Amino acid sequence: MDILFLEAPFTGEVSLLPKSIKFLKDKHVKTVGLYASVQFCNNLDKVKKKLQELNIEMISSQPDRTHVSNQLLGCDNYHNSLNLPSKEQSKIEYYLYIGDGKFHPLALVYGQKDNSELKEIICNDPIGQHFQVLDYTFVKKILQKYRASLLKFLNAKEIGVLVTIKPGQEQFRPALFLEKKYPHKTFHYFIDNVISFDQLENFPFIQLWVNTACPRVGFDDQENFQKGVINLNDALMAEEILSKESILNQL
Amino acid sequence: MALYDPELQKAIQKIKEIDAKLVCIQLPDGMKPYAKEIEQKITQETKARVLIWLGSNFGACDIPLGLNKMKVDLLISWGHNVFHKKEGW
Repeated sequence: MDILFLEAPFTGEVSLLPKSIKFLKDKHVKTVGLYASVQFCNNLDKVKKKLQELNIEMISSQPDRTHVSNQLLGCDNYHNSLNLPSKEQSKIEYYLYIGDGKFHPLALVYGQKDNSELKEIICNDPIGQHFQVLDYTFVKKILQKYRASLLKFLNAKEIGVLVTIKPGQEQFRPALFLEKKYPHKTFHYFIDNVISFDQLENFPFIQLWVNTACPRVGFDDQENFQKGVINLNDALMAEEILSKESILNQL
Repeated sequence: MALYDPELQKAIQKIKEIDAKLVCIQLPDGMKPYAKEIEQKITQETKARVLIWLGSNFGACDIPLGLNKMKVDLLISWGHNVFHKKEGW
């Protein structure tokens, strides 16, 4: 079977909104990290030109899993997803996200949870003509619950590992590293297509869930996991994450 | 659909190029109300039969399973581009 992906690009003008420009000027921003969702990332010329006029340096990259430069996916929520050298990353004062909704830019918030300081995200929505600045306060409760789940994981003995059979998300072999890292825990592997949240309570012996499917499940779907859930990458580094001076540990 | 360009000519060109007889269209939630228009355009301009994927379209990582059993020749997935899967997290 052949597969054809069609990006369905936005047909309107993609430019910086007056409110975005005012914010950048008022804050005397010198450097932004520029990212956009797929409907916008191939049409950033006007945005780039305006940033040049404002003498603002643009830093960007081709994040993991994406197909083109400047593109941001919702799953780019790991600390190193953006593939940016640390020198460049440290120069960024704000991220500038071009696109609609909060799903994509929140990936940039989650991706910074283990950092000591958060670079805020300026959201410039060309569809709704909406400007907003995102920081961790938008997901504070989720991150608090996530941290509690990380703590619970360290003491839990019976762990349910959720593996999807979707080829793009299936990570069974990497999940097996859990057994090496935590030989005194018992891991039970559950497979599904889309995670059936209503089935979780049918396995009462599970003390905590580890998600290996879409990494946003571990954050955005916290409320669907009565026993708590953490993502595989964080499960493999739970102690390290909990001992850092980080946003997650300061909430 | 005026907000987004559905790039239907690319879809039709691909269907003709591979002479697809059975095509599955997968749309993000925001485009699902336009499934009828897309289906009509494809059936008018090609000989393909269209199946509309009812389920999720979270990303290019979220490709419907089992289409080969249905002998689907082509899946057209809107709203995403090629996904480069990484082994491990």
